[in-house]
Amino acid sequence: MLRYVTRKATGWLLMIVVATNATYFLASWFLDPRSNFKELRPVRSEIQIDRALAPYNLDPQVPIVRRWWDWLTSVVLDFDWGKSPTGVSVNGEIGYRSLVSAELVVIATILSVVIGVMLGVYTASRQYGWADRISQAVSIAVFNIPTSVAALAVVFVAIWLNQHAGLHFLYVAGENSPNVEGLLPTIGDRLLHLILPTLTLTLMGYVGYHLTQRSLLLDTINADFVRTARATGLTRAQAIRRHALRTALIPTATSVAFSVPALFTGAVITETIFGWNGMGRYFIQTISKNDVHGTVATAAFAAALTAVGAILADIATVFLDPRVRVS
Amino acid sequence: MATDVTYGAPSGAAADRPPEAAPPAWKNGRNLGLGRLYLRRFLRNRLAVAGVVIFVLLVLFSAFGGLFTPYTHSDADFAALTQPPSAAHWFGTNQGGNDVYASAVHGLQRSLVIAVSVSVLTIVVAAVIGSGAAYFGGRVERATLAVIHFLLVVPSFLILALVSHRLAGDWRVLIVVLTVFGWMSTARVIWSVSTSLRERDYVTAAEFMGVGALRIILRHLIPNLGSLLIVNLTLGVVATVLSETALSFLGFGVQTPDVSLGTMLADGASTVTSAPWLFAFPAGLVVLLTVSMTFIGDGLRDALDPTSVTGAAGGRR
Amino acid sequence: MTRATTRPRTSLPTGTPAPVLSVRDLRISFPSESGPVEAVRGVSFDLLPGRTLGVVGESGSGKSATAMGIMGLLPPSAGLRGQVLLGGRDLAGLGDKALSDVRGKSIGMVFQDPLSALTPIFSVGRLLADTLRIHQDLTKRAAWEQAVELLDLVGIPDPRNRAGSFPHEFSGGMRQRVVIALAIANKPSVLVADEPTTALDVTVQAQILDVLRLAQKETGAGLVLITHDLGVVAGHADDIAVMYAGRFVERAGVDELFRRPVMPYTARLLAAVPTVDSGVHRPLAPIGGEPPALVDLPAGCPFASRCAVALDACRAAEPELRGITGHGDVACLRADEIADGSLDPAGTVTGDAQEPHSGRAATGDVVLRVEDLVKTFPVTKGAVLKRRVGTLHAVNRVSFELRAGETLGLVGESGSGKTTTLLEILRLKQPEGGRIEIAGTDVGAVGSAARIRELRRDVQIVMQDPLDALDPRLPVFQLLAEPLQAIGRDRESIRSRIRELLALVGLDEAVSDRFPAALSGGQRQRVGIARALATEPRLLVLDEPLSALDVSVQAGVINLLARLKRELALAYLVVAHDLAVVRYISDRIAVMYLGHIVETGDTETLFSDPKHPYTRALLSAIPVPDPQRERARERVVLEGEQPSATRVPAGCVFVDRCPLHRLADEEVRRRCRTERPAPVDVAGQPGHQYACHAV
Repeated sequence: MLRYVTRKATGWLLMIVVATNATYFLASWFLDPRSNFKELRPVRSEIQIDRALAPYNLDPQVPIVRRWWDWLTSVVLDFDWGKSPTGVSVNGEIGYRSLVSAELVVIATILSVVIGVMLGVYTASRQYGWADRISQAVSIAVFNIPTSVAALAVVFVAIWLNQHAGLHFLYVAGENSPNVEGLLPTIGDRLLHLILPTLTLTLMGYVGYHLTQRSLLLDTINADFVRTARATGLTRAQAIRRHALRTALIPTATSVAFSVPALFTGAVITETIFGWNGMGRYFIQTISKNDVHGTVATAAFAAALTAVGAILADIATVFLDPRVRVS
Repeated sequence: MATDVTYGAPSGAAADRPPEAAPPAWKNGRNLGLGRLYLRRFLRNRLAVAGVVIFVLLVLFSAFGGLFTPYTHSDADFAALTQPPSAAHWFGTNQGGNDVYASAVHGLQRSLVIAVSVSVLTIVVAAVIGSGAAYFGGRVERATLAVIHFLLVVPSFLILALVSHRLAGDWRVLIVVLTVFGWMSTARVIWSVSTSLRERDYVTAAEFMGVGALRIILRHLIPNLGSLLIVNLTLGVVATVLSETALSFLGFGVQTPDVSLGTMLADGASTVTSAPWLFAFPAGLVVLLTVSMTFIGDGLRDALDPTSVTGAAGGRR
Repeated sequence: MTRATTRPRTSLPTGTPAPVLSVRDLRISFPSESGPVEAVRGVSFDLLPGRTLGVVGESGSGKSATAMGIMGLLPPSAGLRGQVLLGGRDLAGLGDKALSDVRGKSIGMVFQDPLSALTPIFSVGRLLADTLRIHQDLTKRAAWEQAVELLDLVGIPDPRNRAGSFPHEFSGGMRQRVVIALAIANKPSVLVADEPTTALDVTVQAQILDVLRLAQKETGAGLVLITHDLGVVAGHADDIAVMYAGRFVERAGVDELFRRPVMPYTARLLAAVPTVDSGVHRPLAPIGGEPPALVDLPAGCPFASRCAVALDACRAAEPELRGITGHGDVACLRADEIADGSLDPAGTVTGDAQEPHSGRAATGDVVLRVEDLVKTFPVTKGAVLKRRVGTLHAVNRVSFELRAGETLGLVGESGSGKTTTLLEILRLKQPEGGRIEIAGTDVGAVGSAARIRELRRDVQIVMQDPLDALDPRLPVFQLLAEPLQAIGRDRESIRSRIRELLALVGLDEAVSDRFPAALSGGQRQRVGIARALATEPRLLVLDEPLSALDVSVQAGVINLLARLKRELALAYLVVAHDLAVVRYISDRIAVMYLGHIVETGDTETLFSDPKHPYTRALLSAIPVPDPQRERARERVVLEGEQPSATRVPAGCVFVDRCPLHRLADEEVRRRCRTERPAPVDVAGQPGHQYACHAV
């Protein structure tokens, strides 16, 4: 089992490496750090700009392979992700932000999986009942709403609640409040700020799990082996719980890896709307500032998140499917 | 045996008839019957019919809605900045004095054109790559799958943003970019269905008859994927609308002075409490568009799914 | 009716015991787009303890629905009426909870497809232990011990270790044993087996039927054995009920039924089974027409439209099942006439006039010559970088030749390399080893693609399942046009050729605009044959051409194939698992085991005087639709199953399962282990060869 997970993890690590390097080339290609200097007064010459970029390993006159190699060695040897065109260290920027975003994405992923799968199972075993029809309708509606619209709807409702119900703990901006002292108040404050963005992201994420888990379980409920289990004396509900459910969970576990990127996209929009200083907003800023190194670091972060999700999914698969342990 | 003999003569005598007397039998009858069966099953689904009605209305609105207003999306009425809906400006105006109704017509048109073309292109690319990988198998298949899986787990949205940031502004470029980064998941579905089709005996039989690879893909694989492709086409429209709004919302998609539903959402987001109409109208249009397409897609899936065809052949258990 | 207090262990006690299961007027319907389908329309029977009731019927006759109805496992949308009395208690009205107390404890079920009937994520020991613990208060350890005992009982070798294995690690036959163990775990008084051997090889089928018999003896249960195979019930049932269009049309003791079938349907069904008695081919008389759809059945006997002796009265009202003296119960107005022998139920059936089969006829040109054909597959491991961990020897130095007008049957268990051999021939490429010659041309030596295309015209295939072999999106005309387009025929000649082809296979021209789904099974296979004949091939490869067809339809296709061979001087290479069919249609037979041909010869010589121990075992496993012969004949039941072709023994490939090897002396045994036997001629029987050291 350990071997299985290690082998899978190695594969994902390889994926991060390839993805990050590919992004480096794409970013160097599509982002032009020189344009940041063009609007500055007094007007600078091409040579002056290039010279200003040179210390940050961004000089376009240097061949891209050389720049890439320097960047790679500094990342591998010193874990130094480079500097922005204005000389700000990327490491300093992403340290805090990545924690903020990871918190958001991981919690939302876990909630999405748990809520989605539970709803899927509940509704599949009551196919065409009222609970099934209502949750199906809600999920299809949510599935069709752009994240931005959903996030703003959440903001709208929260403000309304705050105004009319006298509730003032639903924060619609920022990841923490200034001037909070002490450990416990800090944690409490952070958690309160987390509520709405997490709610939004979970809303966007659970739908996929609900709909796929429902149809997977419906397929499995009609499988021959469930009929066999009933023939040995289990009731329909028992046969579904003991035989169909675990089998139907296996494909869902594998699909977690593929849904993390979408959730990260959602995080970019959510962070923008809720004014969070996370990786998502940082990514938008780096692109508009033509910050090659910052962009690449964000991509690496997203890939790492995906890999973490995938490895967790692999471990879950091992627990659900004993056949993996045998082979 | 023959319950619906349409033209006479037992089989033995028919062989002696001159060729031109033979009616083009394969062109009539059953094909139509199958189509009518699908239509009947589709029309039975009330949500799907509602979806079609909404979608048609949206298309008509985007095409002819501009005829009912003197403004265009780029005209600025400096006498009316950030005005709520009124008789002059049906959907109100924004901070720059642009008429929201005219913008909505134009934005919907832009979003529709992008969504439909991306969806069609995506399906074509995905069908060729997916069924090709399944048909050829071996190394081609493994390499294609590796690329698909890689692109699926890579945060492709970031790359999309990166690329469109540089190239966008032009909605035609956006179509290309969205297609290039949007075909993978559909291709994966088509691949997995094609692999099972590829094992079907009729494909093997065609090979043994000496039918060429391209002809087998075009004649046997893709037609049998038909319902899957149609359903994915409609769902592709939904996915594209969502991607396009997300991109434009973040400023990476359609750029001013051009307008799409996504850019309108971005404009309205900051004033959602002070000027809700700026946000409400484009948001409503987006949701109407995606919901109607989803209903149509679900209806098509139920109507075309051969596993739920009963009574078509008569003799199934 | 009272519950039987003691379960008689012997099969026929003097006093009649109370039935363990009584079914009264069972009716089952399913909703469909065109109205309710009346799948079962009034079935009644009593099952005595220790006895076996065989329910025989073709697909769609309602036999599986009956089984599910008894078990209470019908889908919720189905409607069920009537009584299912198990030990006096009516199960029909019970809810799921109450039924679950009965299922598995008092009534056990064996399912058709062992590949999908077991939960893939549990070990078989766990499945069995769980089943035991549903109805018995056992500790986990005790349940596991009992599970191991059960596995041992049903003949799983090394049960203690194998109990921890997962279903996918077992072969089909072994999985079916596990399914039987699950059914008998809590010693039920009734067993229901729905087509328990259909998916299995003939040798494995014999083993499974023995296990079923053993299980029945062990539990004293009454068995309802549902099958389409008349041979299976002949040897294993005490009473037989024949089902047609949702009803029992005849019910009698097994001897009476086979001695003189009274219902015309039964008689015609038996006449449609290919049997060969001492080398004489009895002509096959197919039943014309198709079983009726069970939606809005017209009044009258549902068989009347296909019956040769139907009267006007038959079409007016449906006859009830009634007792016939000296026979069982029959639902036919003319049963008395038929029972006393004054009326032939087959009427004056002409069928296809089958000329007496000559056995050995062909002396035409050699159409196919295969010499030392070898095909291996790499066995790989790993997901990304595949590394080769072994070699599967699918076909190993196989040689044979086939002449125009001749039929060669390849027989053997699944995995013996029959189908691989066919596919290698059809590929028309240089084989991995050996050579393939078609009509005098070595396919390996042909360089040009144009010449290969020409060769393609000479070799065509008819596949197993016509529904799968015909593209569902193309009408018949397009299906038949495809091979002609591939060889570049113009539209006019395609059109006229298709008309010829339809006439040739006996199809009306009206089918040319229909889709495969709108055709019956027999019509589809005729289209498949017509398509294969389109390019006027000289060699037709038939891969299980009849196994997807019902018995009554199968006979018509067999006759068609025989006529086509005669008229077109075709050569047939046939693979089929039904040895009775192979015997009926083949001139010569080659027996394959683990990629080797172990014996070849003229069909009748080989059947009457098999030499190789594997051939003998294989032939003796064929169930015969004749209870007397079935009980009397001696059977060689092989132990174990064909090993994987990745580990082929160095000497004789059959050595591990060979009954002769065990009895042979030291010297022969050494040779069997180390030296692969070469084919030897049988004196006085030209063309009969076998490969064995011990005979």
